[in-house]
Amino acid sequence: MITQNVVENIMFEAMRLAATQMPPDVRSALESAVDEESEEIAKAHLVSCLKNAELSESGKGLVCGDTGFPLYFVKIGTNVNIEGGVPAIYRAAQAATRRATAEAYLRPTMVDPISRANPGDNIGPGMPKVEIIFTDTPCGLDIIAAPKGGGSEIFGTFYRMLFPSDGLAGIKKFVIECIKDSCYAGKICPPAIVGVGIGGTADLCMKLAKEAALLRPVGTVNSDPRMAELERELHDAARQLGIGPMGSRGINCVMGLHIAGAVTHTAALPVAFNAQCLIGRRWRSIIDESGEVIFSGDVSGWKEF
Amino acid sequence: MNIRNIKLPLSPEDAESLKLGEIVSVSGMIFTGRSRFHIRAIENDIYPTINYHDINCFFHVGPVMKKENDDWEVVSIEPTSSIRFERYGADVVRKFKLRTLIGKTTMGPRTAAALKEVGGVYLSKIGVCGNQLKAQVSKVHEVYFLDELGKTEATWVMEVENFGPFFVAIDAHGNNYFENLDQSASNKLPEIEAALGIPAGYDFTIVNGSTENA
Repeated sequence: MITQNVVENIMFEAMRLAATQMPPDVRSALESAVDEESEEIAKAHLVSCLKNAELSESGKGLVCGDTGFPLYFVKIGTNVNIEGGVPAIYRAAQAATRRATAEAYLRPTMVDPISRANPGDNIGPGMPKVEIIFTDTPCGLDIIAAPKGGGSEIFGTFYRMLFPSDGLAGIKKFVIECIKDSCYAGKICPPAIVGVGIGGTADLCMKLAKEAALLRPVGTVNSDPRMAELERELHDAARQLGIGPMGSRGINCVMGLHIAGAVTHTAALPVAFNAQCLIGRRWRSIIDESGEVIFSGDVSGWKEF
Repeated sequence: MNIRNIKLPLSPEDAESLKLGEIVSVSGMIFTGRSRFHIRAIENDIYPTINYHDINCFFHVGPVMKKENDDWEVVSIEPTSSIRFERYGADVVRKFKLRTLIGKTTMGPRTAAALKEVGGVYLSKIGVCGNQLKAQVSKVHEVYFLDELGKTEATWVMEVENFGPFFVAIDAHGNNYFENLDQSASNKLPEIEAALGIPAGYDFTIVNGSTENA
C-alpha cells in the first residue's frame, strides 16, 4: 500500500528535480549542437543554456525561471495499491505543486484566465494537470513531472483539420510552416523538441503531439517506419531554414522531431503541433511494490512511440 | 566573447552607436514588468511612481523571488517574451520615454518605430540565463503592486552590475536583427517545400468560404 503522503513526496521530488536538472538526453543534444553551430550568437545561446543548467544543478537557481504549467503524467501498473484509491493522486499532485511553489522551485504562474488573479500557489481548476493511464504490466507507480515552459506552449501550439485529399503534402506544409513561424525570434526557445500528432479527434491529436514532445527521449527513432521516415524528412527540412538556437542565424532550430499517430475518421486528417523548449524539462519517479523509489531523467518506456 | 558594458540610463551617444547583433551588458538601475504593467499603464493610467528619467531600463521579466529574513532573494530572473507586448509596446516607450528595453525574442515594427523616436534600443537575451543574471543583481530596491499583482507581475526595481550578456536586436534606427533572418527563411521556404514533395502552388483545402486566406 502506497500512502498519499508518499505519492506527494515523490511528485514533489520529481517536480523539484525537473525544475533544477537538465535531462541527460537533452544535454547531449545541446552539446552536439554547440559543436555544429559556427555563428558566435548561435553558439553563445547554447553555451549559456548549458551553463545555466550547471548552476541550477549546483543549487544556484532553476534550469529556467519560467517554470510554466505544472503537468504530471502518471502510469499505474497492476501491482499498485494506493491508500484512498486513485483519486489520492490528484490530492497528492495539488499538495506537491503547492509545496514546490512555496519553496520557489515553481514560480507562481497560474492565474484566472479572465480576472488574471494569481492565487500564488499554482493551484486552480485544471491545474496541476494530471494525466493518469493504466497498464496491464507490473510497472509500479511511474510518474513524470513536466513543468512545461510558457514560450514553447504559448507560441508552439497549432492545430489544423486537414482532409484526406490534402495528403502527406498537407502534413509536411503544416509542420514546416509551424516550425518557421514558432521559431521566429526564438519564441519557442529553439532548438525545440517538436511533437506532431496525426489522426484521432482534435483533443487526442493535440495530446499525441504533446506526449511526443515531452515523453519521448531525444534521438530515438519511431517504431513505425513510415513515421520514422517522415520525422527524418521534416527534421532535415527544418535544418535548411537557416534558423538556429533561440531564433538566431544557424542550423539547429529543432533538436528532435517526434510524431505520434492514431486512427481517425475516414473524412479527416487532423494534425497537431506542440513544441518543447530546449531545456526539455521533465523528471521521473517510479515507486515499486517494495516502496523503493527511483528518480531519473530518462523517460524511455513510459510510453511506446 | 567581446562584451561592451553600457551605463544606465543609456546615453544618446551610446544608443546611437549600438549595432545590430552587438553583445552588451548593462550597469545601473532597472525596473521589471510584463503584460499587466503594459495593460494597466496604457488602459488605466496606473503605473509605479518611479523616476523614469533615472530608472529608464525596462526589463521584461517575472523573476522568481523568495523572502529570506525580510530581504528579497532573487532565485532566478529569466527574461520573458517581449513580442507579446507589441499591442502596448510603442505607447509604453513613448509614455515613459524608455530608451532601453530588455527581454526575450524581439518587439514588432510599431515599438521599433517608437524606439527610433526616443533614441532607444531593444536588447534580447542570450540562451537561458536566469541564474547567471541573478548573480549580477546587486540590490533589490523596491517592489510595486506586490499584493495586487503577485510576485510574477509586480514591478521590481533593482540595481544591476555588468548585467548580461544581451545582444542588440533592435537598434536606435528602428532596424530589427530578426527581420532579415525571417525574410531569408521565407525566401528559402519554396525550395524546402519542393524538396519535401509539396507541389508548387499547393494549398490546404478551404472549407470556410472565400474570405479564408484572402
